[in-house]
Amino acid sequence: MNLTTAIDVPSQTNVNTMPEKITIRDLKFYYGDNLALKNISVPLYDRHVTAFIGPSGCGKSTLLRVLNRMYDLYPNQRAEGAVLLDGEDILAPGTDLNLLRARVGMVFQKPTPFPMSIYDNIAFGIRLYESLPKSELDDRVEGCLVRAALWNEVKDKLTTSGLGLSGGQQQRLCIARTVALQPEVILLDEPCSALDPISTAKIEELIDELKSDYSIVIVTHNMQQAARVSDHTAFMYLGELVEFDETSKVFTAPRDKRTHDYVTGRFG
Amino acid sequence: MALNLTRYRARRRLSTFTMGLCLGAALLGIGVLVIILTTLLVKGLVGLSPAVFTQMTPPPGNSGGLLNAIAGSLAMTILGVALGTPIGILAGTYMAEYGRHSRLTSVVRFINDILLSAPSIVIGLFVYTVMVAPMGHFSAFAGTVALAVIVVPIVVRTTEDMLLLVPNQLREAAAALGMPRSLIIRRIAYTAAKSGMITGVLLAVARISGETAPLLFTALNNQFWSTNLNAPMASLPAVIFQFALSPYADWQRLAWAGALIITMAVLAISITARWLGATRTPK
Repeated sequence: MNLTTAIDVPSQTNVNTMPEKITIRDLKFYYGDNLALKNISVPLYDRHVTAFIGPSGCGKSTLLRVLNRMYDLYPNQRAEGAVLLDGEDILAPGTDLNLLRARVGMVFQKPTPFPMSIYDNIAFGIRLYESLPKSELDDRVEGCLVRAALWNEVKDKLTTSGLGLSGGQQQRLCIARTVALQPEVILLDEPCSALDPISTAKIEELIDELKSDYSIVIVTHNMQQAARVSDHTAFMYLGELVEFDETSKVFTAPRDKRTHDYVTGRFG
Repeated sequence: MALNLTRYRARRRLSTFTMGLCLGAALLGIGVLVIILTTLLVKGLVGLSPAVFTQMTPPPGNSGGLLNAIAGSLAMTILGVALGTPIGILAGTYMAEYGRHSRLTSVVRFINDILLSAPSIVIGLFVYTVMVAPMGHFSAFAGTVALAVIVVPIVVRTTEDMLLLVPNQLREAAAALGMPRSLIIRRIAYTAAKSGMITGVLLAVARISGETAPLLFTALNNQFWSTNLNAPMASLPAVIFQFALSPYADWQRLAWAGALIITMAVLAISITARWLGATRTPK
């Protein structure tokens, strides 16, 4: 699915400069007159997991919702600055939002299966862009469910409603549904906050496995989770990006006192 | 330790008294309903015979049935719902999906609520003025339009309410797959709100199948079999109205039978609506 003509990225000879899938530059975000994000600039590296941590209300979910322009569904919300996806500014007017969202998939905090069968939950998204013969569609659906580590649990009840699954299964169904579109970036908005530890472990394993093919951005309240799954971590506080670095550095040797206080549990 | 129980006992007495009032009110309501249904059954079953469903409304003193009235009621009810439902669903969809924050929606909702509680005789007079008078004669068309005007606000209301119950997260999740708005509404929101919306339509059917006043001003009545929509058409409520007020015993018997038929039909529709409403979400 080649949806865009990407600007040529100069060949990477230096291993230390990783290719940036998304570059956020001077991003400001407003809810009405209320400034929620203050001049955020941060790179999101290709085929890496980037975690955003910070106390409630710090703007991390807001930032995530800019990356697929989900905020566009609501009046009075607007973003300024630039968000470059493969060099193209997605905030530019005229961006095709549906194609953007097909390239930048999203999984939400609460599992949101559609009111249809497990099979259709996945096939629905595929059918939006491709018309596949039945057998090929079956294979794709199976592949996505296998990928999301759900196949063995649902293979005998593909025609039953997706609403009948447990919370953890529903969340994996949503991930399978997102993966089915073969996006380039996957946004995860606190994907495990409604799940028990076993389901959480399964999703974390899944994230680890998916990052070989996708750039992943995860927002989480759970610092251990950020430490476990991410390569880079960004700490946000009151709408500002306080610190961005490799995850190990953020957690072991933070440069900013606020980051230090937060990751050691002194506030937040 | 000695608790002072005075206030506790007073509260208990007040509670018992209020509970008694509630029980009394409930019994009164149910009692009236039982009396109505019993009377209807006793008097209606006497008049009920195969002839009721196979013969036309008779002149006084002759034997006959209610076939033309039943057919007329069915025709106008079905056409009225067919006319009013699409308008109601489209308007409700606009209000819940596209114009949720717009001023137009609050205005439409306010007017719709007025229309919802407007006396049906006013609607009958309105259609009389805009259709019957200019056309120069009563017609089943006019009756259909009058019934549709009653259907629209009911369907608008239930459609909007049911779509508003669909969680926004579901719409966001669909949008996150790159689904266009129209598809999100048709495939996600409608699917999630389906049984509630169907319930709304069934309630509208139940409501209009017993309406008399708007039909008296529009479709009037017809003693004979007629399938001409441009001519007066018989309907069960109108026939009941005419026959029940007449001095003839055989007409009165038919009126009771007709009342029983309508009541049973409406009861069946309401039960279906309830049943659909109860199975709204599998969760």
